[in-house]
Amino acid sequence: MSAYLVSVLTEGAIFGIMALGLNVIWGWSGDFDLAYYGYIAVGAYMTLVLTIGAPIAPAQYILGATLPYPLAVVIAVISAMAVALVVGSIALGHLRGIYFSIVTLGAVYVMYVFAGQFVPLFDGYNGLSGLFDPMGDWFGLDYFSYQYFLMGLCLVMFALVYFLMSRVSSSRFGMALRTLREDERAAAAFGRDIYRLKLKGYLLGAALGGFAGALFAAYLTAFNTSAWSPIEVIVLYSAVLVGGRGNIRGVALGVLIMGLIVNESTRFLPSLPGVGAFNTDHPQVLLAARGAIIGLVLVLFLRFRPQGLLPERRFVDRQPAQPATDVAPLTA
Amino acid sequence: MHAALLTLGFGIVTASILALSAVAFTLQYGVTNVANVSHGEILTIGAYAAYLVHQRTGSAPAAALAAALAGGLTALAMYSSVIGPFIHFGASPTVIFIATLGLSFVIQNVLVIIFGASNVAYNLDPGAPQQIGPFLLNPLDQQIVISAIAITVVLFFIISRTKFGKALRAVSQNRELARVTGINATRVAAATFFLAGLIAGYAGFVLAETVGSFTPYFGFGFFLITLTAAVAGGLGRAFGTMAGAVIVGIVLEVVPALPVPFVGGYISASYNLAIAFGILALVILFRPRGLFTNARRTVFE
Repeated sequence: MSAYLVSVLTEGAIFGIMALGLNVIWGWSGDFDLAYYGYIAVGAYMTLVLTIGAPIAPAQYILGATLPYPLAVVIAVISAMAVALVVGSIALGHLRGIYFSIVTLGAVYVMYVFAGQFVPLFDGYNGLSGLFDPMGDWFGLDYFSYQYFLMGLCLVMFALVYFLMSRVSSSRFGMALRTLREDERAAAAFGRDIYRLKLKGYLLGAALGGFAGALFAAYLTAFNTSAWSPIEVIVLYSAVLVGGRGNIRGVALGVLIMGLIVNESTRFLPSLPGVGAFNTDHPQVLLAARGAIIGLVLVLFLRFRPQGLLPERRFVDRQPAQPATDVAPLTA
Repeated sequence: MHAALLTLGFGIVTASILALSAVAFTLQYGVTNVANVSHGEILTIGAYAAYLVHQRTGSAPAAALAAALAGGLTALAMYSSVIGPFIHFGASPTVIFIATLGLSFVIQNVLVIIFGASNVAYNLDPGAPQQIGPFLLNPLDQQIVISAIAITVVLFFIISRTKFGKALRAVSQNRELARVTGINATRVAAATFFLAGLIAGYAGFVLAETVGSFTPYFGFGFFLITLTAAVAGGLGRAFGTMAGAVIVGIVLEVVPALPVPFVGGYISASYNLAIAFGILALVILFRPRGLFTNARRTVFE
C-alpha cells in the first residue's frame, strides 16, 4: 500500500466524520451553519495543548499538559461542544435562515481572529505543533508502521460514527430533527420543544466536528491558522450536498466523490497562461483549481440536483385519506 | 482631545468606503430579497482592474473608472448567471445565500489561479496631510470622502427622482405587485445590480489604495464588515444602511484607539473583525430590523 493511498484513506476517514457531523446540523436539523469549521479547530487545538506539554519560550499557550491521547480527545470534544453551546444558544434562539448563517459566520470569524491574534491562547499565527505518533509507544510502533495504525484508527472511528449515525437517523430523535427542517411550526404544534431539540442536534454535530478535529490534529501533528480557514466548510457542504443531504449513505458517497475531486481532479490540469506580470506557475494554482471546482460543483448541484445523488428517503403516509362518512350534511 | 479628533477623521474615511460598499450590497438585497455573499468579490475584482489599468496608463481616474466598470459587469454577471436563475427557479433565500457563498469561493480561487495568492502592493502617493477643520486628512483621504458624498447624492437623485428609481423602489417593496403594474422586475433587478456593481467596484479601488495592498481574499474580509453595516442600518434600506456604515466605520477606528477599561492597554486593530461581529450579533439579536426603525416600514425610507 503506497504512502499516497494511506494518506488519502486517513484524510478521507477524518473528512467523512466531519461531513457526518455537518449532516446532523444541515442535513437533518436544516440550519446552514457556517461556524462548523470552528468546532473542528477547537477540537484540534485542544487536543494539541493537552498532549504536547508545557510551552517552551517564546511559544506560549494555555494548559500545556501531557495527557494520554484518548483522554485529550474526550476533553477536546467536550470543549468543542461547550463552544457550540455558547454559539448555538445565541444563534438558535429565534434566528432562522440567513440571519442564523450570518451570526454563525460572525462567530467563526471571531474564533479565527482570536486563535490567530490572541497569542496566550494557542500561540497566535504560529499555532501548535509537536504531537508525534500519539499512542504509538503503547503498541511499540515505529514511524512507518504508525502511519498504518493511524489510518486503521481513523477508518474504524469513521465506521463507528457511521454506524452510530445510521442508528440516530432512524431514531425518534433523528425523525424529530427532520420535522424541524420540514416545518418548524407543525413540530411545535405537536409539542416539540424546538429550541432544545435544535440545540441538541447542534451539539451532536459539533461533538463529531471536535472529534474529527482531534483525529486531524494527530494526523497533521500541528495546527495553526494557516491550516484552517472558516470558509473551507464549503468543501464539507459540497460533500453533503452532492451525496444527498440528510441521507448518511449519500453523505458517505459525497465524501468519496469530493475526495476524488480533491485528490485527482487537478492531475490533468493544463498549464495556464499568466496575465501580464502575474505568473501562474506558483504552488497555489493546484489548490485554487480544486477550490474553484468544488465551488462550481456546489452551485451546479444546488441548481440542478439539490437532493443529491442519493436522495434521502421521504417518509410518506402510505394510507390514502379516508373519505369522511359520518359528517353531518351541510345545510344552508 | 486632539488625538481623538484625529482618530475620528480616520473613522470618517473608513466609514465613507464602508458606506459605498454597504449601500451597494443593500441595493442588491432590496431588489432581490437575497443576500449576495459574493458581494466582496466585486470589490476585489474592482481592485485588480484598477491596479492593471493604473499600471498601463498611470492615471488614477482611468483606474477608478476601470474599477467601477469591472465591478458593474461582475455584478451583472453574478445576477444573470446565478442569482437571477435561482430566483426564477424558485429557490429559497437560504439556498441562494449558499449558492452565492459557493460563487464567492469560485471567484476567489479563480483570482488566485490568475493572479496568485500573494499580496499585490498598490501604493499611491497620498500627498501631505492637511488640516481640514479639526481633522488631519491627506488629499487621497479627502478625495475618498468627497467622492463618497458625491456618489451618495447622485444615488439619492437616481432613487428618488428618476423613473428607474421609482421602478427600483417598486420592485424592492413588492416584486409581484410591481410586475402586475407592468414593470419588468428582472430587468430592473439586473440594472440595479449593474449600478450596485459600479459603486462596489469603485469602493474596491479606494479600499485598495487606502490599505495599500490586496489579495484575492481582500474583498471577502471587507464583506464581513459590510454585512455588519448593512444589517445595522436595516437590510434593503439604502440610506439607513449608509447611516449604519458611518456608525460602524467610526466605531471600528475609534475602539482600537480607546484604552481598555480596568485592564489598560489597547485593543489591537487586528480585532476589527471581532468587534464588527460583536456589533452585528447584538444588532441581529436586539434590533433585527436595523438600528433606525422600531416598526415594519417600507424599504428605502
